[in-house]
Amino acid sequence: MSAEPKPPSAEPVSRDTPRFSIASSPHLLDSSRSTQGMMVDVLIGLAPVLLVSLIVFRSYALLQVGLCVVSCLVFEALCAGMRGRSLPLWDGSAAVTGVILGLSLPWSAPWYIAVIGSAVAIGLAKWVFGGLGYNLFNPAMVGRAFVMLSFAREMGTSAYVRADASIDAVTTATPLAAAKMESVMPDLWPLFVGIHNGSLGETSALACLIGGVYLCIRRTASWEIPAGVILSAAVFAGLASGIGLSPLSWFHHLLSGSLLFGAFFIATDPVSSPLTPKGKWIFGAGVGFFIILIRVFSGYPEGVMFAVLLMNAAVPLINRLTRPVPLGGLPTVKEAVG
Amino acid sequence: MSPSNIGFMIYLKQAWLVILLALVYGAGLAGVQVGLSPRIEQNKKDETYRVIPDLVPGADARWIEETRVPVEGKEVLVYRANTQAGDPMGWVVPASGQGFADKIEILIGLDPEVHTITGVYVLNQKETPGLGDYITGIDFTSRFAGKSTGERLEAVRGGAVKDNQIDAITGATISSNAVTSIVNMAVETLGGALRERASGKGKSG
Amino acid sequence: MNRDEPTAGERFLNGILPENPVYRQLLGMCPTLAVTGAMKPAMTMVAATAFVLICANLMVSSIRHLLKPHLRILVFTLTIATFVTIADRFLAAYLYDMSKQLGPYVPLIIVNCLIISRCEICASKQGLWESFADAVGMSLGFGLALASIATVREILGSGTWFGLSVLPESWPGWGVLVLPPGAFLTMGLLIAGVEWWGARQRAVEKKSVRKAEAA
Repeated sequence: MSAEPKPPSAEPVSRDTPRFSIASSPHLLDSSRSTQGMMVDVLIGLAPVLLVSLIVFRSYALLQVGLCVVSCLVFEALCAGMRGRSLPLWDGSAAVTGVILGLSLPWSAPWYIAVIGSAVAIGLAKWVFGGLGYNLFNPAMVGRAFVMLSFAREMGTSAYVRADASIDAVTTATPLAAAKMESVMPDLWPLFVGIHNGSLGETSALACLIGGVYLCIRRTASWEIPAGVILSAAVFAGLASGIGLSPLSWFHHLLSGSLLFGAFFIATDPVSSPLTPKGKWIFGAGVGFFIILIRVFSGYPEGVMFAVLLMNAAVPLINRLTRPVPLGGLPTVKEAVG
Repeated sequence: MSPSNIGFMIYLKQAWLVILLALVYGAGLAGVQVGLSPRIEQNKKDETYRVIPDLVPGADARWIEETRVPVEGKEVLVYRANTQAGDPMGWVVPASGQGFADKIEILIGLDPEVHTITGVYVLNQKETPGLGDYITGIDFTSRFAGKSTGERLEAVRGGAVKDNQIDAITGATISSNAVTSIVNMAVETLGGALRERASGKGKSG
Repeated sequence: MNRDEPTAGERFLNGILPENPVYRQLLGMCPTLAVTGAMKPAMTMVAATAFVLICANLMVSSIRHLLKPHLRILVFTLTIATFVTIADRFLAAYLYDMSKQLGPYVPLIIVNCLIISRCEICASKQGLWESFADAVGMSLGFGLALASIATVREILGSGTWFGLSVLPESWPGWGVLVLPPGAFLTMGLLIAGVEWWGARQRAVEKKSVRKAEAA
């Protein structure tokens, strides 16, 4: 498949695809920001999360994340080759996708889940749309959704629990599953530091906060998105537990599941989130709302993945509605809506 | 010719082909319907009758009686399996309720006194393929056979311990719960009326 | 008869690949997406659609000189609906399980644009023989498309083909391919593959033409 002939009349494909940082005005020139720099920042931000997951899940975490990263890089090289591009491996985006996908899987997921998830994330979610910068949906979450719907048994709530495992954390159900099925209230301290069951990267609220705040300070992630997610999730979770729909308090909701991991590392993907600060607030609030909606009313204990994907789909619309008025332009309704 | 007649003639000139075709097609369809409908009805009945012996042990499709039971102001069609002599052997009750994806329709087999559930069969469901749709399998439905109607049944994960517990399908707790609550609901709403029928007028037509 | 119209042989061949109803015209998407989870329902659907398509084409072609332009769509729909109902009743009578499985998708053949488009494009203009060849060609093309999608979905999704096991018992079925999203993914990727192949063919042809010119 790699022998796709180039149309003779077309211009030669440039070796280095130009990358544009897109942001609303005012445009401040900051030459230190490159795709590669951002991706390294994300990896640094993910380090505390990785560390906790290595402590809690030991070699399982290493294997799962390592396999996802390697598969993502392989598929990235393959797809780039098919489209006749030079290898864009060193921009680091495929590695970040791999780490996030790996951290969102259960420790027990078999190898083919990591490989198929990576293939879908890189091939279907990213390269089918044209590669980095063109994907509508967060690649890691598309990959996870595909394997989640395909291998419900290996990815569902029961996959997390193994009563006879040598790791303490995985002998009990995940906090959200326990709350949904058996109305068990989790203790807050283990939720905060992360000594409990769950997907590899989601257990520790503390680690997510440390890494997430680092990303926001570095401006690699826009702080409006996590703020929007957390605020709206808190409000709707408070509402849900206030009228008796959810056994968990709003604080439990914030600390459990992959809410914080998703708010800081998944929803902030600059490609698949809106451009303007106002749009980012709307996006974050939508993600928070859908997380709680799915947790409370659906059959799934956790809703971060579907919430992010749903709001990804709304991003073009949000961008359209929050288009800023150009400097000196008239704020007519017609112009704002396009 | 009156103006209305002229209008009618123009109309007929334009539309005679449509009218003619509608008549021909209508007649053809009526013929097909008359020819095939007994067979189609039979197919539907066959499915219910085919599973009745599984739901009421020892029942014979030849001696099944259809009867209507009033529940909350409505008539519900139930099937009574009889012995050759006409004594009741058990009931088969259609029931339905909301599942994970869509409505689940099931048939429930009960003994004549409605003390024990003798079987469950899933007629129609749209649960998740490869997971929730395992509720149609005999592996799952057989877990209901022999359960007492005295206590509400509940689906539990990871091994049923008590008598009124049903082992839920791994990864499909909601579908399992749905079937269990449909069974509970049917037993609660129909139990009294059926018990009366069985003891009171056992041999009535 | 209009000399510009394609002959029966051209009509027949066009339907199979050059104007494949699914891959080239993107017609009849509803059954293409809905019933291709496995080969058996897909092939039953193809058979029912072929029956309706052939009968409708023959019927419309035989009354084509009587059609009034502004009433022709009405006549097409009436004809198609009649044959769909006949197919639906026959399935319910003789293939009850399959009819239960296909559910509403058999009656929905009425709104399959493929059929009405063939009535409009071919049957209302050409004779019985050409219309028949056209319907058979289009049916084969439709069958080919559904078979290709159903094959991918059934083998990867359930490890079976026509209900027969073709992959080892340990194969983890890709559940999503059996679910509706799998229909979109499979069809999208297969269309991409067909387009890619088509582009390659055209490029090769161009090259050989240029070579011939240069020589």
